[in-house]
Amino acid sequence: MQRFVVQFYLEKRLSMFLLGVYEKPFNHLLCAVPVILSLCLLSFVVVHLQDKEKKKKESIFDLSKYIDKPIRVKFQGGREASGVLKGFDPLLNLVLDGTIEYMRDPDDQYKLTEDTRQLGLVVCRGTAVVLICPQDGMEAIPNPFIQQQDG
Amino acid sequence: MAATAASNPSQLLPLELVDKCIGSRIHIVMKNDKEIVGLYLRLLPLLINSDMVLEDVTEFEITPEGRRITKLDQILLNGNNITMLIPGGEGPEV
Repeated sequence: MQRFVVQFYLEKRLSMFLLGVYEKPFNHLLCAVPVILSLCLLSFVVVHLQDKEKKKKESIFDLSKYIDKPIRVKFQGGREASGVLKGFDPLLNLVLDGTIEYMRDPDDQYKLTEDTRQLGLVVCRGTAVVLICPQDGMEAIPNPFIQQQDG
Repeated sequence: MAATAASNPSQLLPLELVDKCIGSRIHIVMKNDKEIVGLYLRLLPLLINSDMVLEDVTEFEITPEGRRITKLDQILLNGNNITMLIPGGEGPEV
């Protein structure tokens, strides 16, 4: 008895669904129209944005003024290197000549001269580069925040 | 617009330098304390990912002061963690 009830219920649902579709044919079409319109709008917007992106492909920072100059590069993961910039590309891959790598000591927080090694001609992956600056443009200063703690 | 990068003929493009060292030894420094020295095999299209196929590879771990496994039979190195590529490098001499 229960089995028949369930079967009848399912058949009723199915027939109602089918009837629902066939009862309102124009409703079916009307549902499609806004979908088509939104697709058109979306494609237009995407194409327009792509055009804008093509014009925006130039990088915000021009590295060509640093060619043949010593620069300092910092990487993800704490590595630092300095060398003469020989070349670059828009992905920020760099070619450094006469590279010296500085490595951080985990015990001494941050000491530059602990581990320096000569690497020579090196290609630096642009995805790992965090900071680029001219070597002349930075110097180590004593910690300026200690005075504030005392005062 | 497009004249900002790579229009200077006297500069060396990074990918050109890497292409030159196909078939010779290359020393790769990773983001962590690991370095890989191996023979850079045939030209895998160096797209954005820069995964590399290497042969006769020696893996160095810097901090524990040890030389790790020497692997053969070609490895595929994931380019996500590569920091530096040194053509013709011999690795840290420890």
